Amino acid sequence: MRRAHLILIAVFAVTTAACAKAQPPAMQPSAPVAGAVLWVEPTDLATRDVFHGPWGQENAPNSADTFRYVETKRSGVNRGMTVKDSQGREWSVKTPFPGNLDSEAPVEVTVSRLLSAVGYPQPPVYFLPAFDLKDDLGTRTLVGGRFRLTHPSLTDAGSWSWAENPFVGTPPYQGLLVMMMMLNNSDMKDRNNTLYQRRAGDLVEQWYAVRDAGAALGDTTRWAPRTNHIESFERAPFIVGVNQGHVDFAYKGAHRDLVDDRISPADVAWISNWLGRLSDRQWRDAFRAGGYEPAVAARFIKRLRDKVSQGRALDYSWRKASTGSSAEAARAGQ
Amino acid sequence: MAGCRPCYSRNWVVAGLSLALAFGLAATAIAQQGQPASQDVPPVPDLGEPQGLLPEPALVERAAVFADRYLSGGGSGNGFYVSTKSPIQGAGWISLGPGYRHWYKDDQVFIDGSAGVSWRGYKMGQAQLEFPKLLRSRLVLGTMYRWQDFRAIKSYGVGPDTTEAALSTYHLSSQNVVGYATVRLQRWLNLNSSLGWVDPAVRSIGGDEPRFLHTETSLVADTRDYPDHPTSGALLRVAAARFSDQDAGLYSFQRFESEAAGFIALADSRVVIALRGWLVTSNTHDGQFVPGYLQPTLGGGQSLRSYEDFRFRDDHMLLGNLEVRVALMTHVDAAAFVDAGNVAPRVGDLNLDKRSYGGGLRFHTRRATIVRADVAHGQEGWQVRFTLSEPLKLSRTERRTAPVPFVP
Repeated sequence: MRRAHLILIAVFAVTTAACAKAQPPAMQPSAPVAGAVLWVEPTDLATRDVFHGPWGQENAPNSADTFRYVETKRSGVNRGMTVKDSQGREWSVKTPFPGNLDSEAPVEVTVSRLLSAVGYPQPPVYFLPAFDLKDDLGTRTLVGGRFRLTHPSLTDAGSWSWAENPFVGTPPYQGLLVMMMMLNNSDMKDRNNTLYQRRAGDLVEQWYAVRDAGAALGDTTRWAPRTNHIESFERAPFIVGVNQGHVDFAYKGAHRDLVDDRISPADVAWISNWLGRLSDRQWRDAFRAGGYEPAVAARFIKRLRDKVSQGRALDYSWRKASTGSSAEAARAGQ
Repeated sequence: MAGCRPCYSRNWVVAGLSLALAFGLAATAIAQQGQPASQDVPPVPDLGEPQGLLPEPALVERAAVFADRYLSGGGSGNGFYVSTKSPIQGAGWISLGPGYRHWYKDDQVFIDGSAGVSWRGYKMGQAQLEFPKLLRSRLVLGTMYRWQDFRAIKSYGVGPDTTEAALSTYHLSSQNVVGYATVRLQRWLNLNSSLGWVDPAVRSIGGDEPRFLHTETSLVADTRDYPDHPTSGALLRVAAARFSDQDAGLYSFQRFESEAAGFIALADSRVVIALRGWLVTSNTHDGQFVPGYLQPTLGGGQSLRSYEDFRFRDDHMLLGNLEVRVALMTHVDAAAFVDAGNVAPRVGDLNLDKRSYGGGLRFHTRRATIVRADVAHGQEGWQVRFTLSEPLKLSRTERRTAPVPFVP
């Protein structure tokens, strides 16, 4: 019996080791890439349609359409499938778990809307609460989710690394990390970042997009973080202080080494200022795009705007405190 | 042969009745749960789970989140995985091993291979190749190889009157290669057929076991909402199998099975009544026998829960289960159950004299029972069981290889 236990433990150790992920390398900017885009200044921010997003209504799925099943999603922990609509357009659909516990689909659409609103490129994603699906055995109505269009102008060229890319250290990159902290994105794996080749005529851009940010709007505990959970999101603190010029986040996710001792108060203020320019309607539209009930959306928006206010005040408070004599004042912004 | 005719007739009557029941109940269930496609914007199907009698602590809900993400998937992802399938009751509470699976060409080709060793040292390995979407998903063809080595399977002798003192164990290893086909008549109705080669060896007695050619045909109507944690729907299954002894012919036999399970949700699904009935009969020609490890058995966490695993075995078996589950919390149910059944050398002698009464707790997500604890009492005392599966999972409906040994 003891031998069997040893074999079992050995098998467990080997299989666990085989499935283990490598630690990310130290962060450093990579060589410049022609046409690389992480962020484009949102000069028209005030007039942006945050409900339909940057790809507009013309690229949205028709909720009255009957979609044709192609194949089941075979990667990641979330459920999903590939479908085609009556126009022949292909969609990647992410659906909730039965029981609707911590569904990532609404989060992914809302986060995408917020990212694109302040200048970060995003693929065309939309939310449908339900849809009709036809497969070889008939047609039925299924619970909906996030619909991401396979657009002919966008080519998925793989993932990109948070730790090594041409933008490491730039304000938009630092601001993007801060935004992930604000949203409590608990799953910042490189695999959730997508490098898109975006063709517009003869022009080819390399879009560095945070694509799968559905594990957000909850808390960031290491074990089973909540996603899309307003109570957890309201309870979770944002910034705990400033230490030697770097912001300490309350974030406890697996990839907190991306922000530890790397983010300045000015970085936080930079993205907070952009987010602070979103109108009430744009905030509501971002959550409406994800299918949120207005009352729940209002609570998320309030918490996020509190964080934005905290972030906008942080740089000023920090500068003021660091020129003063009180060390305690360095904990400004809390 | 002539002496078996009444047995055949009786079995086919049972099978026929079960079939009629299957069609009737399944059609009813489909009519109740069907959601035909709409002409306009479709209504949103209800996804929520019922709240229980008590508020759920955050820790339990967080555990459900974790279980939903990582333990309830049922194996739908490409790549390497950790196989945790316990090969057989009595193998221990957990089994672990590496596995690899992959779907190709829009899910038209599926390969899977895994190996594992259980807490009590039971070992198994398997490889599978399947084409699941032939003829516009109406036909599934596949082949599977399975090797297993079970070192200490309990046996108490043959018949309903054996004593606990008669306990012995045997070491059974076997290889099984099978080709199978499934015709999908409806989304909920499958006609399955398989042809395989089984080579068992009972090492503890050192005897040469015969090799078998094994064929099985079954019709399965399944409208359960979630097979790993059903709260509504029904399952009906009728099956006929033949094991042909390829050596001396002494152990050739036929087996007929009829099984029905129903799940009725009450009080907004806060209460679920689960019912199951299962009849297994065997037929042999004069001078032939069913080998002990292929005889139907009773006892264990999925049949008579107050009895030891494999406590009773004989050529025929009857089992009934009634279970009432009440949602204590959203993801924790309390259950009360009655199990009753028996084995017998003749079908006419079957009864429900062996009984278990008990209760338990289940931690589950919407789609899977993650862990359950059952306490059961019967004529042979108490049993406490911790199990990582649904009590009425009926996994034999998904099985492709021959059941060696027979597991209730």
